[in-house]
Amino acid sequence: MADLKLVNIRKVYDKDVVSVKDFSLEIRDKEFLVLVGPSGCGKSTTLRMIAGLEEISGGDLYIGDKRVNDVPPKDRDIAMVFQNYALYPHMDVYNNMAFGLKLRKFKKDEIKKRVDNAAKILGLEDLLTRKPKALSGGQRQRVALGRAIVRDAEVFLMDEPLSNLDAKLRVQMRAEIQKLHRRLQTTTVYVTHDQTEAMTMATRLVVMKDGYIQQVGAPKEVYDEPNNVFVGGFIGSPAMNFLNGKLEENYFVMDDVKILVPEGKMKYLREQGYVGKDIILGVRPEDIHDEPLFLDFSPETKIKASIEVAELMGAEIILYSKVNDQDFVARVDARFSVAAGETVDLAFDLNKAHFFDCESELRIK
Amino acid sequence: MINQLRKIYSSLLVYSEGHDNLDTTYKWFVTGENEIVGIHDEELTSKDVSLLTTFLLPYNINLPIPTDEERKWKNAIHATESSANFEIKNPYRFIYFSIKKNQIDPTVFKDAIHELFANPVPILWGNGHEGIIIEEQIDYEDSISFEEIKDILMSDLSVKIHFFIGSYKEGLEDIAQYYHSLTNAAKKVFVYTNKTVVTYIDAVPYLLINQTEPDLRSDIGKTVLQEYINDEETLKMIETFLQCNLNISETAKVLHMHRNSLQYRLDRFFEKTGIDVRQFHHAMTVYLALLARK
Repeated sequence: MADLKLVNIRKVYDKDVVSVKDFSLEIRDKEFLVLVGPSGCGKSTTLRMIAGLEEISGGDLYIGDKRVNDVPPKDRDIAMVFQNYALYPHMDVYNNMAFGLKLRKFKKDEIKKRVDNAAKILGLEDLLTRKPKALSGGQRQRVALGRAIVRDAEVFLMDEPLSNLDAKLRVQMRAEIQKLHRRLQTTTVYVTHDQTEAMTMATRLVVMKDGYIQQVGAPKEVYDEPNNVFVGGFIGSPAMNFLNGKLEENYFVMDDVKILVPEGKMKYLREQGYVGKDIILGVRPEDIHDEPLFLDFSPETKIKASIEVAELMGAEIILYSKVNDQDFVARVDARFSVAAGETVDLAFDLNKAHFFDCESELRIK
Repeated sequence: MINQLRKIYSSLLVYSEGHDNLDTTYKWFVTGENEIVGIHDEELTSKDVSLLTTFLLPYNINLPIPTDEERKWKNAIHATESSANFEIKNPYRFIYFSIKKNQIDPTVFKDAIHELFANPVPILWGNGHEGIIIEEQIDYEDSISFEEIKDILMSDLSVKIHFFIGSYKEGLEDIAQYYHSLTNAAKKVFVYTNKTVVTYIDAVPYLLINQTEPDLRSDIGKTVLQEYINDEETLKMIETFLQCNLNISETAKVLHMHRNSLQYRLDRFFEKTGIDVRQFHHAMTVYLALLARK
């Protein structure tokens, strides 16, 4: 087991294309850290620099106490799982798991011990003599994980390992990987563009954009207290709503729509000089309510909303509407039936909402 | 032959295939019977080496000994007399590979590659970190793509590998040209893309731009991209749009931006440059201009 330390890591490709900019992070021993962000944000490049598959242009990388910038990948004691969970097509499951060890000249009995152990952990004991073509997608992915487990490495690196699976299998494998991590306790760095995967799996997550870390924190912390508009919009599904308006004394105003701002929030907005200025309101879909009780108690955060689309998801309905010509989405309880075309009262829970600076897009705290 | 050579070179050593730890102060050759023959450097002049090379295959001790088939392919490419009897039944293609120097034992690489195909594929090494894999076009039920092969090898061998995949070819005619154009192209294309598996077909625009004079390249970039030439954000957006086959929804999803914002920005680009990247011809022009910038 090991902790990792990345200090001011940079990756510059030819012609000054900077992929990762000043990335500093300590990854704790046994942690399941998820790097998440949109395509091109630098998450896979960061992972590959840790693996040694990409050279580090600047900064220092430590595994444990050892600086490993110049250590060849094969000597870093790292095991990797990639998006393509491809296997050697002509080998059975046992040999697929054993082959990496054979190449590293491990003794036969040690290989057997490790493969049998990995097969037991992953529930592959009955499949050891099967060829990949006789396995389901999920079983193949488990074998791919097994190929990493047998390495008994200090660190696991996983680069979008579930992206090629269908939605149902992805959910199932998500849980399997979490169980595996709990059992093995190996420090794991996991890359995904899928915020749901990030939220459900991470001990801590790192949200990246354009090569920079936007926020590091426990999933709930990042969800509840996003650093900026990007993080607020990226983490959460449906995404956080952002409404442009002006802050007036005690009210967030969008032309003729006025929403009361609670005094707790108003105090620091006032102190930081935002009264009279343009501001962005960020409110999660679940913090927009249609329950009669909430509406009764929040008359000054209430708006009339014409519902454009209503998607019944089972226990809840996703409502798409507009306020002051700005789109927003609400997630409400399916017990109160709402249909497209109706006009309904909705109230914003501003105690749970956030305000962001229009220029910097940072959350005002 | 060996005895005759020994009379001339007293240091001559002969080993069978698979001998490890060969002395680096010797020059090594492989005979037609796959014996490894070594002669001490001190006994050899450059003329001797040239002469020996006419009937013995020079052998790099860091590389696996070529198989008969590999030797036939090599002879065919280099158009030696002994290639006359070499017949090829199926269409084939060359796949160039390169690995970072000194990170992997070529024998280990060969072992792993052989396990990925139904039959052992010939591998012609250029040096210790690059070469050509020769793959016959045979439909196997469980064959896998080079993208998958790359990932398997990266996880087992912990090395970054580039593959440049040639198109299928029949017969030996022009094989030398096929080999040289593939290996030359392979050394150019990876400047233009971060992908590690590229086909010759994918690479054609890169090769065209690579052949263009630097001044013209610079002109194309400036003329087409105009005021956007240094606007990395917009150019990244357009590049992603091209990669997503001009599909607005897919691009918006990949870039994590609203579809309407993307439409608006593409409209702005059109207004400012007169280029509508939603049209194939304009898209192609912008694509070449983006490559010209690299």
